[in-house]
Amino acid sequence: MSGFWRLMLFGKGPREAALPGRDLRIDAIRGLILLIIFVNHMPGNVVSGWMPYNYGFSDAADIFVLLAGVSAAFAYGRLIDQRGMLVGSLKVGARIWTLYIAHLALFVLVCGIIATAIVRTQNSLYMEAINIQPFFSDTPAAVINALGLTYQPYYLDILPLYIVLLALFPLIYVAARTSPLPTVIFSLAIWQVATHFGLNLPNHPGEAGWFFNPFAWQVIFVLGVVLGRLALVGATVPRLVVLDLLAVGVLVFAAAVKLSTSNFLAGVPVLGEWVDGLQIGIDKTNLAVVRVVHLLALAWLVLRYLRPGAALLRSRIGGGLAVIGRHSLEVFCAGIVLAIAGQIILAETSFVLWVQLLVNFAGITILAGLGMFLSWYKTLTARAAGAPREQPVAA
Amino acid sequence: MLAAPKPLAPANDARCRAGASQHPFAPVLPAAKRALTETNQLVIVALGSSTTAGSGASEANNSYPAVLEAELRRRLPGREIKVINKGVGGQSAYDMLLRMESDVIAEKPSLVIWQTAVNDAIRDIGEEKLAKILKKGIRQVQGAGIDLVLMDLQWLPREGRYPKYDDYRAVLAKTAAENNVAVFPRYGMMRTWSRSKQFTPEELVGMDGDLHLVDAGYRCLAVRLADGIAAALTGVRPDGKPTN
Repeated sequence: MSGFWRLMLFGKGPREAALPGRDLRIDAIRGLILLIIFVNHMPGNVVSGWMPYNYGFSDAADIFVLLAGVSAAFAYGRLIDQRGMLVGSLKVGARIWTLYIAHLALFVLVCGIIATAIVRTQNSLYMEAINIQPFFSDTPAAVINALGLTYQPYYLDILPLYIVLLALFPLIYVAARTSPLPTVIFSLAIWQVATHFGLNLPNHPGEAGWFFNPFAWQVIFVLGVVLGRLALVGATVPRLVVLDLLAVGVLVFAAAVKLSTSNFLAGVPVLGEWVDGLQIGIDKTNLAVVRVVHLLALAWLVLRYLRPGAALLRSRIGGGLAVIGRHSLEVFCAGIVLAIAGQIILAETSFVLWVQLLVNFAGITILAGLGMFLSWYKTLTARAAGAPREQPVAA
Repeated sequence: MLAAPKPLAPANDARCRAGASQHPFAPVLPAAKRALTETNQLVIVALGSSTTAGSGASEANNSYPAVLEAELRRRLPGREIKVINKGVGGQSAYDMLLRMESDVIAEKPSLVIWQTAVNDAIRDIGEEKLAKILKKGIRQVQGAGIDLVLMDLQWLPREGRYPKYDDYRAVLAKTAAENNVAVFPRYGMMRTWSRSKQFTPEELVGMDGDLHLVDAGYRCLAVRLADGIAAALTGVRPDGKPTN
């Protein structure tokens, strides 16, 4: 048995993890994804017409969740290795609490912005656009359900997914450490079985479940954790040119399907029907299989051809994106608020082109500024904490 | 506390029919008619987004499907009538297409009222794409031997906010026509109501101070739907004259 398969089946012990250097790819890609999410959360704007979802089956959300898995393995997985399950889980719990509070704050902010906009403009479609009516028609029930994560207006559905996935992280990580391949297979099975039986967590009122069905989306997170774990033990990416070609083929096919206005396989039985289906939409809630395949193709090519310390990542743009990506929770939340405000501005100005461009530019600038500020603030506080205490802390 | 909304008396329903001749709704419903004759039952599924879910209406039973059920029961006494509400706020046509089989056809209705496309219009998903999605949904419903009515988008007091709004309405109308589907002319009706001076603007599209969509618009939608459906099933128009 080769070393690769032995690793995939039997994993490695907690003490065998190497300490890889900082992977610049994660922060930079996540920074880019956060900006794309902001732009896409203002639907109908010209810039979003150029965003990656127009060219592929998977989109920013898929990459975001994959990276969440990878970085959870780096941050909390390593902690579990070094300090044990209890300490690691407590740290994960603390993070979940932060996410929960951020989610609730976001919920209140978003409801407040929409309410203000509707009172001022009398345009009730602002409510429709993000499904926030339940909050206004039955506020007590909506608040209770929001606290339990069982009422999720649009855009307020990613953090609840992340909370659930992170809660499962210690378990997933130990499984991935013990035996990566069976972990992935088990996760794939849960996804397919749940989709088949229509399993999802509830989203009240109504019978639609979570927009990001956790039973489906756990697959991407698990893949991320396994990738992260493999990186921790210093696994190298095998040189498989066949996979390279296959991955490129997937991306080209996806772009062709999404970009062409007609169905190029129209006459072909089964395949023609399939392409037809892909052109009208790709199930996000239950994670269409093509999304995962497309995401894996992208991930493979990045792993193969973007080195962790590539010059591109050290450039000004790469560095700038990494600054944004390093503060993903704060930037994500700010992005949601800005995108909803942006949506309202765009509609009130009838989607005039220059306003669209201005709103996109202003939002991206604010998000980049926030990332820079938080980095600066962090070094400031780190320096202060590192400096000898000169004065006693005031009571 | 919020003040309880005033119940809307059926006596006030005459105003719902303002300008009815300009925007007729006279669907042909062979499957529903057959079901009613053979089984004495009429099961309708109302598929849609917020307008259907009625989450803006002050109480769940003031949503248009609930009022429609009450109105049809009143008009067709002795019949078993059920209107199942399958509205989910904020959903696009594609979201609804995904649950057409499990949420709609599985209920074995003889009529589906599909209210859709407003979220596709405000998100500008692409007109061609919307046409394909609608066509697929229509085929699915028709293929199951179920009658279908598509509901036109709502009228907006200031449409300029969404420059392509009318283009998307046209897609819905065209796709319906091409596939022999009746359209419930909601947009035209609402515009007529807005000019009839019998409604306040808030009653149609706005909200009261507590951000509740008021119920008048929903009630009138249901009344006009009930008029058209009852006429198609009994051959008698709401004014008592026979159809055709």
